[in-house]
Amino acid sequence: MLSWLITLLLGGGLLAAGLGRLHPQAARWVALAVLGLALLWLLPLLGRATGGPWQPGEGAWLLLEQHAWIPRFGIQLLLGLDGLSLLLLLLTLVLGLVAVAASWWEIEQQEGFYYANLLWSLAGVVGVFTALDLFLFFFFWEVMLIPMYFLIGIWGHEARHYAAIKFFIYTQASSLLMLVGILGLAFLHQQEQGSYSFSYFDLLGSGDRSPHGFWLMLGFFIAFVVKLPAFPLHTWLPDAHTQAPTAGSIILAGVLLKTGAYGLIRFLIPLFPDSLTSFGPIAMGLGVAGILYAAVVAFAQTDLKRLIAYTSISHMGFVLLGVYAWNSLALQGAVLQMLTHGLSSAALFMLAGALQQRLHTRELSRMGGLWRYAPRIGFIALFFAMASLGMPGLGNFVAEFLVLAGSFQVNLPMTLIAALGLITAAVYALIMIQKAFHGPAPSAPALVDFDRREVTAMAVMMLGLLWMGLYPQPLIDSLGPVLDQLQRTAAVSLETVHWSQR
Amino acid sequence: MRELSAQLQPLWPLAAYFLAVLLLVLFILGVSHLLGERHRERATGEPFESGIVHIGDTHIRFSTPYFLMAILFVIFDLEAAFIYAYAISFRASGWTGYVEILVFILILLAALVYLWRLGGLDWGPKGQARKRLAPLQGHSRVLEGEAPPTRPNRE
Amino acid sequence: MTADALFSLLPLILLALTAVGLVLLIGFYRNLQLSFALAMGGLLLALVSLLPVAGVLPQQATPLLIMDSYALFFSGLTLVTALLLLPLCHEHWRRQTSLNDEFYLLFLLAVMGALVLVASNHFVSLFLGLELLSLPLVIMVGYPFKPGFTPSLEAAVKYLVLSGAASAMLLFGIALIYLHSGTLAFAPLEPGLIRLPGPQNPLLLTGLILALAGIAFKLSLVPFHFWTPDVYQGAPLPATALLATLAKGALFALLLRFYLLSEGYLIGPLVWALTLIAIASMLAGNLLALLQDNLKRLLAYSSIGHFGYLLVALLAVSQSLGTALAVEAVSYYLVAYLFSTLAAFAVLVRLSGEDREAETLEDCRGLFWRHPWLATTLTLAMLSLAGIPLTIGFVGKFYIFAAAVEESLWLVLLVVVIASGIGLFYYLRVILMMTHQDAGPESDEASAPHWSSHTVTGILVAATLWFGVYPAPLITLIRHLTLAVN
Repeated sequence: MLSWLITLLLGGGLLAAGLGRLHPQAARWVALAVLGLALLWLLPLLGRATGGPWQPGEGAWLLLEQHAWIPRFGIQLLLGLDGLSLLLLLLTLVLGLVAVAASWWEIEQQEGFYYANLLWSLAGVVGVFTALDLFLFFFFWEVMLIPMYFLIGIWGHEARHYAAIKFFIYTQASSLLMLVGILGLAFLHQQEQGSYSFSYFDLLGSGDRSPHGFWLMLGFFIAFVVKLPAFPLHTWLPDAHTQAPTAGSIILAGVLLKTGAYGLIRFLIPLFPDSLTSFGPIAMGLGVAGILYAAVVAFAQTDLKRLIAYTSISHMGFVLLGVYAWNSLALQGAVLQMLTHGLSSAALFMLAGALQQRLHTRELSRMGGLWRYAPRIGFIALFFAMASLGMPGLGNFVAEFLVLAGSFQVNLPMTLIAALGLITAAVYALIMIQKAFHGPAPSAPALVDFDRREVTAMAVMMLGLLWMGLYPQPLIDSLGPVLDQLQRTAAVSLETVHWSQR
Repeated sequence: MRELSAQLQPLWPLAAYFLAVLLLVLFILGVSHLLGERHRERATGEPFESGIVHIGDTHIRFSTPYFLMAILFVIFDLEAAFIYAYAISFRASGWTGYVEILVFILILLAALVYLWRLGGLDWGPKGQARKRLAPLQGHSRVLEGEAPPTRPNRE
Repeated sequence: MTADALFSLLPLILLALTAVGLVLLIGFYRNLQLSFALAMGGLLLALVSLLPVAGVLPQQATPLLIMDSYALFFSGLTLVTALLLLPLCHEHWRRQTSLNDEFYLLFLLAVMGALVLVASNHFVSLFLGLELLSLPLVIMVGYPFKPGFTPSLEAAVKYLVLSGAASAMLLFGIALIYLHSGTLAFAPLEPGLIRLPGPQNPLLLTGLILALAGIAFKLSLVPFHFWTPDVYQGAPLPATALLATLAKGALFALLLRFYLLSEGYLIGPLVWALTLIAIASMLAGNLLALLQDNLKRLLAYSSIGHFGYLLVALLAVSQSLGTALAVEAVSYYLVAYLFSTLAAFAVLVRLSGEDREAETLEDCRGLFWRHPWLATTLTLAMLSLAGIPLTIGFVGKFYIFAAAVEESLWLVLLVVVIASGIGLFYYLRVILMMTHQDAGPESDEASAPHWSSHTVTGILVAATLWFGVYPAPLITLIRHLTLAVN
């Protein structure tokens, strides 16, 4: 089932590339149809996920799929879908549709190959969110990079080559460290059980038994926080986001960053539960540092897309904080933050892209007073800026509140400092609106307001944020059993470790 | 002292032989010196050219295919050393050895045929002019910056 | 020698017969198309002959050659590589008007040398094979790309002189090893030894280091790599491709066999020397490749780096269970390297015109929009060399990691990670160059490509993808064949 979803996206990419050579317009219709089809296929599962009631002890998996792949190393095609994966998949596909909408008129060269790359990248992301074999996970982790690299490198803006190479080298080099970690676990399994295994279920909690456990964990951690990105390893992100075409920025900020957070929740902590106590404070510190540092830097930006990119880093700091707090509240908050940030940052990037396409600049200093010429753009921008600064009633508020409430129980000082991030967020969000939409216009721009296609895409995301802000309970319900299960796994392996040490 | 002379004892025929050679050479030179004619004429001081007085410049270029000679040497002279080695163990190596040396000689023969067909065996300017087909020639045309011969259009 | 032993040498005999036949054919009827067909036929026959030969293994055919399943696998690999390479040579030479039939003859001889190497378990056959491989290569390197094109001559002279020096070193090393062990066959050097840290026989060590230097030269490992970029650049493309793939692959297969049979992993200083060479090769190869604008030179440096990775797998050989995995890793990585490098050269050959070779990065500018298929091929080759998933190179890289992790070679593993990171940079640069929107120079394919080179490109793309996504069959084959090396 799940493999069909991935195949659909991959095949759709091939079809788009093929048809694009014959007729350039066809490619985007193919992309639209494929993504719509995938979304339709997933939606019924949402009902099952929220339907509950979950029995304790019952696996939280909605779908599981297993085939042999490379028996030599015990590698399987092991795909699974639970509430967490499902929500992230829905986010991925919705943002995929938004990305197609954003690039509808923007892309004029080699459209076939463009939409193919878009679909392939999404296929990789779907794979990452569903893979339960560590080798397979790594495989998809890399697969999603290559098309994204092409998206930035071919259709990006002026410094695209630099940005694309930097993006690729950061993520690739860090993921090689993760590969070492994965192999370390697999060989540990081989020493203990006599056979290789990369299966998630076989390796749960095993990291703590390895003599090199800390270093293996660090390999995973670096790979995930580069992607997240967290404070010292974030420098690829402003370049990549700024230089990517609009759709690339949407996918990068909305979806790709979430794979890092997903990796932490799904893999790192369940595999290395000990790291919660030994490494948790450091990770939370990085998260907090990222929140404040990125917010301050965002404030100093003059490039609109760069500003939004830094706000992403700041928001993902909350996710890191929430994940390492590792209690129900904080985890729910972290996942909700992933979803809401996915929507709000994607919307902001789409806005920035639309402005750049109309004004041929991303410089805030060359904008101003745009509200007068394009009230629809202005209103939508204000809405998402409010979402980004965490206004109650919108999803981001709920998410950040939950994260702070959760981490409050774990680490008070960190939480207090992180709360400052809410203030700085208000500063940069308002500065952005102020500079771009109010004040005197440098020259009367020939600005066309949003058309129906763009308004539709925006409306979807606004509704999503409102829903998550006003009635997040169904989402929390569908996440509940998954997060409980994860916490239990970590706790169980912690106990066994401590027991065996005693 | 006695031991040394005892050691040298078996070497005396060699010394005698060496002495005999020296004596023979001295004898021949001496006899021709004594019996030979002695006269001084116009061409006597010139290098001996079959008794003919030379005319013109000595800097004439002969086509000497050193490369060709080297190849021929490698193929037919050096490889013959292997056949010598075989000859010594002719009986010991039996039919297997015979077949093997046969294969060896046949391969040499193929190389010879190849050389012959390329015109590698044509000696001297005339022969070379007739069959200049191959890159295998007396001098490297590439080194001299000339174009190698072109192949007639195949298709 | 029994009939079975003779029979096991069938591939070699068939190739030799083909070579002699080709000599006669060229002598009587010079036709490039026909020579190509004969050479291809001979290679194909030799490849097919491996099937019946597999039934009589293992055979020690004369004290010099051993035909076991290890040799069978690498013979197969060599012949497949040759079969993929020869059409590329033909694609290249059929555009020229000069007489180049002898190139195929030399090609066959070099392949024979490679076959001798992979079946060698004796120093004499090692040397014979190596020279049979190197001498035709010298001439092939020297083949002028077009009349009056002298860089190839310079490259040939350089290769001849340095290769001769390396052979001399190797011979001296072999002599010293013989002095110590009293046999020229590959045998444990220090029987019954369990890795002594103390001083060992200095003669043996000197011999081993000298022999290693000779082999490292031919494999162009740092610090014996200086000839590589110049020779790669000067030689005509087919010769470069042969040098980069077939010659090095066969020699590495031999190195692995020697390392296993002589139990070199027990000799501490040798392991240290190999470690240093591996680290230096990975770093220097990848760093120097960053500076290159010439694709041939870039591939030269990248091959230096790749043989550094291969040495890491070699280092993972030890007494413990590491052996099996290391042998598999070397075999798989060699396959991956050969296929990806061949694909890269295939694209270069296809892009070359009648009067110049496509060798600079500029020649690739905008290739995606001019020749989508060639660009896809080159992209796959580069991704595969960089070790990115979906390609065969990834599985190879995975094997290297696995072998190193199993033996806990953390230091070299770290270097592998760093070097791979650096490597990405220049592989991606090639890909980016192909995506430039402005059209590049008009170095389009001069004429319609020969169908055989089309086929080869297709096979290479298919193999790169197939074994990258579904490596299980190849892994099974390798495990089945190469593990019987002892």
